[in-house]
Amino acid sequence: MADQWQSSMDHAVAIARRAGEVVREALLDDRAVMTKSSSVDLVTQTDQKVEQLIIQSVKEKFPTHRFIGEESVAAGESCVLTDCPTWIIDPIDGTTNFVHAFPFVAVSIGFSVNKQVEFGVVYSCLEDKMFTARRGKGAFCNGQPLEVSEQKDIQQSIVATEFGSSRAPEAVDRIFCSLKNVLSIPVHGLRGAGTAAINMCLVASGCVEAYYEIGIHVWDVAAGSLIVCEAGGVLMDVEGNGPDANTSCLPARCVSDGCLCAGGEVDLMSRRIIAANSRTIAERLVREIAPFRPPRDDAPPPN
Amino acid sequence: MANWTDCLNFGISIAKQASEVVLSAFQQHKEVKLKSSPADLVTETDQRVEKILISAIRNRYPQHRFIGEESVAAGERLELTDSPTWIIDPIDGTVNFVHRFPFVAISIAFTFNKQIQFGIVYSCVEDKLFYAQRGGGAFLNGEPLYVSGQQDISRCVVVTEIGAERDDVALSTTTSNICRLLKLPVHGVRALGTAAVDMCQVATGGADAYYHIGMHCWDIAASAIIVQEAGGVVMDTDGSEFDMMSRRVIAASSATVADRIAQVIQAFPCCRDDEDNCRCGATGVN
Repeated sequence: MADQWQSSMDHAVAIARRAGEVVREALLDDRAVMTKSSSVDLVTQTDQKVEQLIIQSVKEKFPTHRFIGEESVAAGESCVLTDCPTWIIDPIDGTTNFVHAFPFVAVSIGFSVNKQVEFGVVYSCLEDKMFTARRGKGAFCNGQPLEVSEQKDIQQSIVATEFGSSRAPEAVDRIFCSLKNVLSIPVHGLRGAGTAAINMCLVASGCVEAYYEIGIHVWDVAAGSLIVCEAGGVLMDVEGNGPDANTSCLPARCVSDGCLCAGGEVDLMSRRIIAANSRTIAERLVREIAPFRPPRDDAPPPN
Repeated sequence: MANWTDCLNFGISIAKQASEVVLSAFQQHKEVKLKSSPADLVTETDQRVEKILISAIRNRYPQHRFIGEESVAAGERLELTDSPTWIIDPIDGTVNFVHRFPFVAISIAFTFNKQIQFGIVYSCVEDKLFYAQRGGGAFLNGEPLYVSGQQDISRCVVVTEIGAERDDVALSTTTSNICRLLKLPVHGVRALGTAAVDMCQVATGGADAYYHIGMHCWDIAASAIIVQEAGGVVMDTDGSEFDMMSRRVIAASSATVADRIAQVIQAFPCCRDDEDNCRCGATGVN
C-alpha cells in the first residue's frame, strides 16, 4: 500500500538539504545577531530566511498543511498542535553554534498527523549528515540504518545534555544539580554539541546512551524523537512517565508490525525530555535529574 | 638554529598512518581497562598506536626522546629535558573511541630546549589535520587558521571537559566552574570529549576559549602551539604563564577573555605531570 506521507517526506528531505546549503553559504558572511528571550537566546536573519524558505515551499506543494515554526512562533503565531498534517520546523537548531561557526548546526523538520509524529528529518548541514525516520520503517543516516547502543549499564554510558539559554538562577542551579548527580553515578562522560536535534541523533546512532534536557522546545525535538524511537530507543519525561504523560500531548510511540515497540510517552510540548537507548538507562537518569517546569510551548501567551 | 620542518612532516605522515589502525578498530568492539577511575579508560588500540608511533620515530631519529601517555602509564619516567622530545597521546578521546562518538585524535607535539616547536592533532574520524610550527602559522587541512579575536566574555562559546575524576572535590569544583561561567553569562559551553580537538576549536575561531584542569601534557601540548600560532593565547588557570606540566590550561581568542576566565574558575588540587611520585601519570582525560 502506498505511503500517503511519502511525498511529504521526500519534500522534507529535499528542502532540508536546500536549507542546509543556505546555512553553509551564510556562514561565509557576517552573521549579525539578535536576541530573543535572553541575552544568550540568539536568532539571525538566516534562521528567519530558512524558515520562510521551508514554509513557502511546503505551502506551494501542500496547501492544506499547517506549521509550527520556531521563528513564526517568535513572531506571534500559534504553537498549538491540531490533528491536521503539521510541519514542526526548527530552521537552525544550534543558532549559537551557527553564529560562532562551531561545527554543529541542524535543520530539523518533524511532521505530525493526528498529533503523532509520522516522519522526522534532521540535516546536520556542516557534517553533511541527513538523519531520517519514517514511523514503523526505521531510522537512517545518509541511507545507513541507525541503531541505539546496547549498553544497559549507566556506569558505562555517555550522556549528552545542554545548559540551555535560560540564565535564571533557579533554572541554572537545578541544571547543575542534575549535572553533578549524573556525573557522580558515575558515568563515562558528558557531552554537549550545542544542538538538541543532533544530540538526539547521537543517541539514535549509538554514540551516546542518552540525552536529556529541560528548556528545549517542540521544534527542537519533534524530528529527533521519532529518529530515536525508530532506532530502537525510548523517550521519557525527566520525572519518568509522570502525570503530564497523559494530558494533551504528542505521543511519540513507534509501532512496528502492529506491536508497540519500546518507547515511553513524552509530551513534546512540555519542554523537557530524556531520549535514551533503553528504559533502564532512562529510568536511571530520572532518579538524578532535578526537575523544573518551564512554561509549556502550547501555553497561551502572557498578556 | 635547527629547522624542525622535516620532523613536522614526518610527524604528519606517521599520524596519518597510525590513524588507519584507529579507524579500523573504531567500529569494532573494544576490550576496555580502567586506569585511575571508572571514567579513565584505555584500550589495546591506545597502546598499539603509541608503540607504532614511537617505533617509527625512533627508527628515523634514534637520538630523540619521548613522553607518551601509555608509556608513562606503564611506568616510564615522565621528564622533559632539553633534548628533542616527542610528546604523544595515541588516542585523545579514548571514551569517545570506545563509544564510537566520532571525535578521536592522535596528538603529537615536539619540543626542543623544553619549548614546543610544532604540534599535530589529527582528528581521524573527521579527517581533520590540525598543525602548527613555531613562527609558521596554524592550519587545518592546509587552510590557515585564525582565532575569533573575541574580547567580550559575554559573547563567548567556551569549550571544556569534565575529565576523568569522579571524586566529590573534583566534580564539585568542575561543575561549579561551569555554572559560574554560564552565569556571567557566556553564549554557551560545549564539550566534545577530547582536549586536543576541543582546543583546536579555539584555533579555528569556532569557539572562543577552552579551559581544563586535570588533563596531561600529552593532551594539550600540540594544540597549545596550534592555538598560539592561530593568534590565540595560552595560560595557566590562575592567570600565570602556561606550564604544560601543571595540568591546567586556558586557551583563548584573546588575553582579555583568558584573564576573565582565570578570574572565575578555581582549580582542584592536581599533582604535576613531572612530579616523581605522581601516579597521576596513569590518569587520563576521557
